[in-house]
Amino acid sequence: MTKISRRRAVAGIGAVAAATIARPRTAKAAGELTVWWSQGFYEAENKAVIDSFAAWEKKTGTKVNLTIINSPDIVTKLTAAVQVGDVPDLVHPITLSSFVASRLAWDDKLEDLTDVIDSQKAEYHEIAILGSRYYNAKLKKHSYYTVPIKCATLMEQAWRPLIEEAGFSDADIPKTQDAYFDFFQTVHDKLRAKGKRIFGLGYSMAAKENDANNLFHHFLVAYGGKDIVLPSGQLNVDDPAVRKAAVTALERMTTPYKKGYVPPGAINWGDVDNNNAFFARQIVMTPNATISIAVAQMEKAAQYKEIITHGIPLGNDGKPVPSLLGAQPLLVPKGAKNVDGAKDFMKGFIEPASLNRYLKETRGRWLPVMMANIKSDPYWLDPSDPHRPIAVETGLIKPSIPWWMSYNPAYAAVLSEQLWPQAEANITQKNMTPEQAAEIAINGIKTIFDRFKIG
Amino acid sequence: MSLARRAWLNRLATHTAAAALSALLIVWTLVPLYNMVRVSLQGKEDVFSSSVIPESPTLHSFWTVFQESYWLLANFWGQMTNSFYIGIVVASLTLIIGTLAAFTIGRMRFKQGWMLSNAALMTYVIPMSFLAIPFYGIMGKYGLTNSPIAVIAVEVTFATPYAIFIFSQYGASIPIELDEAARIDGASPPQIFFRIYLPLMAPALVAIGTYALLLSWNEYLYAFLLLSSEGKLTVPVGLGKFLNSDEAPWNYLMAAAILYAIPPMVIYYAFRRKMSGGLTMGGVKG
Repeated sequence: MTKISRRRAVAGIGAVAAATIARPRTAKAAGELTVWWSQGFYEAENKAVIDSFAAWEKKTGTKVNLTIINSPDIVTKLTAAVQVGDVPDLVHPITLSSFVASRLAWDDKLEDLTDVIDSQKAEYHEIAILGSRYYNAKLKKHSYYTVPIKCATLMEQAWRPLIEEAGFSDADIPKTQDAYFDFFQTVHDKLRAKGKRIFGLGYSMAAKENDANNLFHHFLVAYGGKDIVLPSGQLNVDDPAVRKAAVTALERMTTPYKKGYVPPGAINWGDVDNNNAFFARQIVMTPNATISIAVAQMEKAAQYKEIITHGIPLGNDGKPVPSLLGAQPLLVPKGAKNVDGAKDFMKGFIEPASLNRYLKETRGRWLPVMMANIKSDPYWLDPSDPHRPIAVETGLIKPSIPWWMSYNPAYAAVLSEQLWPQAEANITQKNMTPEQAAEIAINGIKTIFDRFKIG
Repeated sequence: MSLARRAWLNRLATHTAAAALSALLIVWTLVPLYNMVRVSLQGKEDVFSSSVIPESPTLHSFWTVFQESYWLLANFWGQMTNSFYIGIVVASLTLIIGTLAAFTIGRMRFKQGWMLSNAALMTYVIPMSFLAIPFYGIMGKYGLTNSPIAVIAVEVTFATPYAIFIFSQYGASIPIELDEAARIDGASPPQIFFRIYLPLMAPALVAIGTYALLLSWNEYLYAFLLLSSEGKLTVPVGLGKFLNSDEAPWNYLMAAAILYAIPPMVIYYAFRRKMSGGLTMGGVKG
């Protein structure tokens, strides 16, 4: 018998191991549906999603691998998955959703979902659907690369007891932009005079996540900057009206901070921190992307009614300011194993009755994307609810505009690079003037737009 | 002023400065930990109160974690089990690979063995986070995404170079004459490894085992990237979900974090003496 040397034995074992390792395996079965869904703010929100997929699984016999992921993390995970080509079949991002969707659509990394949209196109709110249209630089065309399922616009929330403690009532709250925000500075002064360490204004000024960007852009629109990007995708930042609006927005947001009307920590707030400060009654008012602050208190009837919800104020000229309506999408990355399954689920999920049921189960925190829901279900405009009808009116009935990423994905990069919150930081931390800070931000925006040429 | 008095004053100033600095460092270190405990002892509505001492301290948060009776904690003990499983397997594999490699390099006269241990250390030049996407790709190719094996493989990859280095350095302090004597008595390399080498390496084994366990215990990035199913998540990823809600359940988060910190603390204190001996050994041998 031939004696095998130790060295040859080791080499043989190594070769077998290498051969085993070098044989890639199929990552996911095509007969399954792998879903990554952003975690809800409430248990009911997650439960509604789980129930929807369970029902679809039962109906189709297709196994659903549903993963509910922390919303900010889903973008990181999706980016990694797309880079390596091992993607899920269906994704519902929330944080930075328009950033990730517009960039992936630009790079031709998303499935075209026009057929899904077409199944309910007549029902969709005009702006919600417009905000789901993105440009594909490879195919040189706009198309529907996402399917909107819910939307939101900026809302203002305030504590009635604190306003009353300062000697005011709801009726004293002004309706126009500058007067509205100045009012809370007056409330701040009155409460401080009573020895209360409470801040009148509680908005994020941090160069991270969504909130600071969100508020800045509503200020920008309020001061006349809504045409910063034209529907053609062309950057319009040199328009004097836009530039002036940007400078005014920066000045109006940073001056209260420098005067101490905003908590010092707001320069480092994540999206949840203004909510927490509000619940702790450390701030009188806070802007928020949805009515989630009030909705989180729904089970506490007294607190639910103590919170006042306002839509965005009128312009200083007394005319309505269009709200920026952001739609939250479903998307299917290219390379997904079960595109047909994903589309089948989506078509069922966005049927008006189905979508309405889901949105109601999420306590109405999000707005519908279909006017049919508003018209057919009194829930949305129920006058006995102090918050929901105001949000519906602000986002869906009054004038609104889409975020500019649907015109040009470059603006998604402007948001993700936090150029405007950085401009705020340049004013509050480096003592730049609003004009200087705006100039730096505008130069940064131009550089980004140079990378994204439409057409 | 007399020389003795001046010296006394100097000593007093030095001691006062040292005491002040120590007090500052103690406060700096303990305040965050105190805050964790304070918040965990408060009710959900009181977590943002400015009082330094909880007004109505309660163990309700800990009880909630134990019972998994809050929706974000629904699978806390399952996640704890996953963390333990990953941590123990990572520690075991790191020890097995590290000791075998160090033994081969140091005791079997492997040519240019020092280059292997130093080359392994060079892998630390690239930060872990930079390798996240390549690792994700590799695991995806082999169908290991959403498998604890993927996280274990990554953690072992990162822990092993340090383990090989420390074991090599520590092993150098064990006289080679012991091996030679054993060999003369007829011991084979495996016998030398198990009967002589490993028993004498005990302090280093404890140190590196604890290090590898803690590395995987605290891991977030790779755990959240590579694991997806609810039933496979580890505690750090599970706790990350708290940072996504409006309901501010900071008291539950802090209670869960305290409970999660207990096992590493127990392990650290149980093996503290042996651990410091093992970790410092690499620093004095060239």
